[in-house]
Amino acid sequence: MNRVAIEGKVLSENERAATELRAEFAHHGIFAVNLIGSPGSGKTALLERTLESFDPSRRVAVLTGDIQTDADAQRLSRYGFPARQITTAGACHLDARMVRRSLEGWDLTGIDLLFIENVGNLVCPTSYDLGEAHKIVLLSVTEGEEKPLKYPGIFFKADLMAITKVDLLPYVPFQAHVAEANARSIHPGIEIVRVSSLLKTGLDGWLEWIDRHAVTIGAV
Amino acid sequence: MHEVAVAGGILDAVRAEALARKPARSVKVGIRIGGMAGVDPGSLAFCFEALVEGTDLEPLELDIEPGIADELEFCYLELEPT
Repeated sequence: MNRVAIEGKVLSENERAATELRAEFAHHGIFAVNLIGSPGSGKTALLERTLESFDPSRRVAVLTGDIQTDADAQRLSRYGFPARQITTAGACHLDARMVRRSLEGWDLTGIDLLFIENVGNLVCPTSYDLGEAHKIVLLSVTEGEEKPLKYPGIFFKADLMAITKVDLLPYVPFQAHVAEANARSIHPGIEIVRVSSLLKTGLDGWLEWIDRHAVTIGAV
Repeated sequence: MHEVAVAGGILDAVRAEALARKPARSVKVGIRIGGMAGVDPGSLAFCFEALVEGTDLEPLELDIEPGIADELEFCYLELEPT
């Protein structure tokens, strides 16, 4: 029996595609973020409020992933910015090749900020690098504050946690400070914002985070 | 169930490695999975077995070792001279 060492990541094909995407984003000065959260955590709603707040001159684009329907792309294209649907037809996550294909035909020189809304899922999207600058995890107050402990992978990899639907806090047993402590126990450096897309509160902190990180690659 | 895709990725890598080391036959592949990798070892072992069954790689074994943080990496391949 002969044992040989082999190295490299198991998802090396995705890694390769993600590395190419990252280089392409860097080349065009695109700041890309990957939004991950459970189904119904408010990813699309947060993006709607975000796009609504932007000046029409802002060079922003959105890719949104779902297993079926282009409902989200329809919702997001109302704000005057390019939005495209990625329909995975069964796959529970986006991978780097899907993102590459979906960018075809877009003039990347005209995009500074790219939002990639992943398929609603706290598990599988964690493993797939999409070439993004940051992963962002959404946790809605109807989900329970123990989610960071139950699904540690995404909270470990995300640089920002957005607690969403905070307008519902008076009506649910969710304790935001416990959720935040849980997230920090997994990832001490994670940044946190609290938002309500319905009441449009807390958006300043969210938008400030985007601008602060986008500026580091010169993409505002 | 992205473990199916992960298992497929392992088999692709084993095939590529085996091709370079012909005519030795691949017997066992070792990988490391960290607790933050978002991959369930039990589910991966199940998918791996299902994908290997009935192929030229059967009876290839999968050895899963605990890794650090979000590691999802190859460690080794065991080959048998034919």
